[in-house]
Amino acid sequence: MGKKVLVVDDDPDVRLFNTTVLEENGYLPIEAENGEEGLQMIKSEKPDLVILDVLMPRQSGIRLYRELKTNASLREVKVLILSGIAKKTFLRSQQALTEFGESQVPEPEFYLEKPVDEDVLAATIKKILG
Amino acid sequence: MTKILLIDDEPDILRVLSRSLRADGYEVSTAASGAEGLTEFERAHTEIVITDIKMPGMDGIEVLKRIKRLNADTEVIIITGHGDIDKAIEALQYGASDFINKPVRDEALSIALKRAGEKIDIRQQLKEYTQNLEGKIEIATRELRRRTNFLSKLIRSSYEGIVATDEHLRIVVFNPGAERIFGHIQEDIVSGRSLAEILPEEMTALFERALNAERAYKEVPWREASIQSKSGERIPVMFSGSILVEGPHKMGAVAFFQDLREIKNLQRELVHSERLAAIGQTVAGLAHGIKNILHGLKGGRYLVDVGIAKKNNEKLRKGWDMVKRAIERTSDLVMDLLSYSKERQPQYEPCAPNAIAAEVCDLVRERAEQEHAELVCEFDPAIDQVLMDPHTLHTVLLNLLSNAMDACLFDEDTGKRWQVTVRTAAEADGTIRFEVVDNGTGMSDEVKEKLFTSFYSTKGQRGTGLGMLVTHKLVEEHGGRIEVETALGQGTTVRVWLPYRTDQRTA
Repeated sequence: MGKKVLVVDDDPDVRLFNTTVLEENGYLPIEAENGEEGLQMIKSEKPDLVILDVLMPRQSGIRLYRELKTNASLREVKVLILSGIAKKTFLRSQQALTEFGESQVPEPEFYLEKPVDEDVLAATIKKILG
Repeated sequence: MTKILLIDDEPDILRVLSRSLRADGYEVSTAASGAEGLTEFERAHTEIVITDIKMPGMDGIEVLKRIKRLNADTEVIIITGHGDIDKAIEALQYGASDFINKPVRDEALSIALKRAGEKIDIRQQLKEYTQNLEGKIEIATRELRRRTNFLSKLIRSSYEGIVATDEHLRIVVFNPGAERIFGHIQEDIVSGRSLAEILPEEMTALFERALNAERAYKEVPWREASIQSKSGERIPVMFSGSILVEGPHKMGAVAFFQDLREIKNLQRELVHSERLAAIGQTVAGLAHGIKNILHGLKGGRYLVDVGIAKKNNEKLRKGWDMVKRAIERTSDLVMDLLSYSKERQPQYEPCAPNAIAAEVCDLVRERAEQEHAELVCEFDPAIDQVLMDPHTLHTVLLNLLSNAMDACLFDEDTGKRWQVTVRTAAEADGTIRFEVVDNGTGMSDEVKEKLFTSFYSTKGQRGTGLGMLVTHKLVEEHGGRIEVETALGQGTTVRVWLPYRTDQRTA
């Protein structure tokens, strides 16, 4: 049985791309189309990895990432951020929230900027999940 | 002590009178003839001279004339004999102050001396007054000169151009500031040149009107205009003027000019640098949009590859669909970019703004239902068919409505009942107000600031970052204006006023 990977992205094309890469490489993909739905699925499905977009309606990836890293029971969930937004910008947003009095969160371990080639994506997932 | 010169050819009289006068407290010198008297006068400069009229050699009349010539202020009292009345009158005509008859009585003499003394006092007082007055006039003149100097220095050193004229609009003041602006030098201008020679017709007309107006229009308020310099250059200026009045009389006019060349240059530079900054932001914004599209293209190509390799038609089809959507997005982006960068004149056509608003609402109704947002239309029935650019109205409303929908979609407060309201209202100033109100996510000050000035999107792959720029541009091209009111977490109201025409002939 392959490892379970949750794809959180509001763009159906991106979800299709990512899930196909996952399937082709022997993983078990599941999908969520916004941060809110993503959080529920992380809790219920307990995926091995979350591939997370940043700019999404309802709840952004910035917020979801923060939820994961500040919740003791979810902190160990592995996260790969895959976004059109540069890592620098993502970090700045997190920094701003910290400055507004929210707790400090660690930098994401894995970050890919769109557009990304399927082999880079597959290699990165493989590296994370071993 | 008052000094008296006593002249008489009779030594007895001299002796008696001088003793009596000295006793009265005068300083007395004596002379026994007219010639001797004059010599003594020139030495002693007495204030009063008493002279006998009938003397051998130079007589009293001659002595009087000469003394008066030497010092007109000297009081000369004539002593006359019996029957000398004609001589006495002659003496008075030559400026004698009094005459007394022989034999000289002390009483008559003291009266004459008293009168002479009073005259001397009065003359002295008058002299003091005069000197005082002269002093005061001198002080006043100095003060006046100081103020005049101050004013003329003020006029000279003013950076503003100051041009003043007499009541016939002939130039009398032309300061260095004016020289800088007009390029003429003062010497050429302040020699009977008239205002009309250096100012454009309509500006001169303003002054003529103000000068001829009975009461009103004494001031020409600040306004922007342009003048032509000596070299023919058009120079933008701010100018104002006023008519100089003294009591009921008009003295002339004065005009003030501020050179706007520097300011205009600065503004141009500012606009230029803002545009450069916008281009920089465009590139960043575009790069982001293109990155997302490229990701879709790569995904599509990958699915097609997988489909071909595995002879999986479903993957092939899905991949191809992704490629097609990426093409669609590219085309949207390019179209937005084009409509932002291209100048477009509004095309006025008869149209019904309410009908266009309703049409746009129909376009987004399905999406509103999907996103659980209530769509409310409130159209002003007073709005009839008008001349307006339907394309502008359609695009603007569609942009604003889809923004309002996005604002609800992106709202993290899922407890809300989202509502989007579209309102139209006829305004009294010949415009129609279009209002799109949502109670969605609202904007932070930072986002609001970037709304019209940069290619900026908070919507990830959904936005090109151009929607509000295009909207703003269209509204401006149509001569309208746009206003945004927003509060983070509470929603946004966008109001657009578009002017319309009613007469086909003016279209």
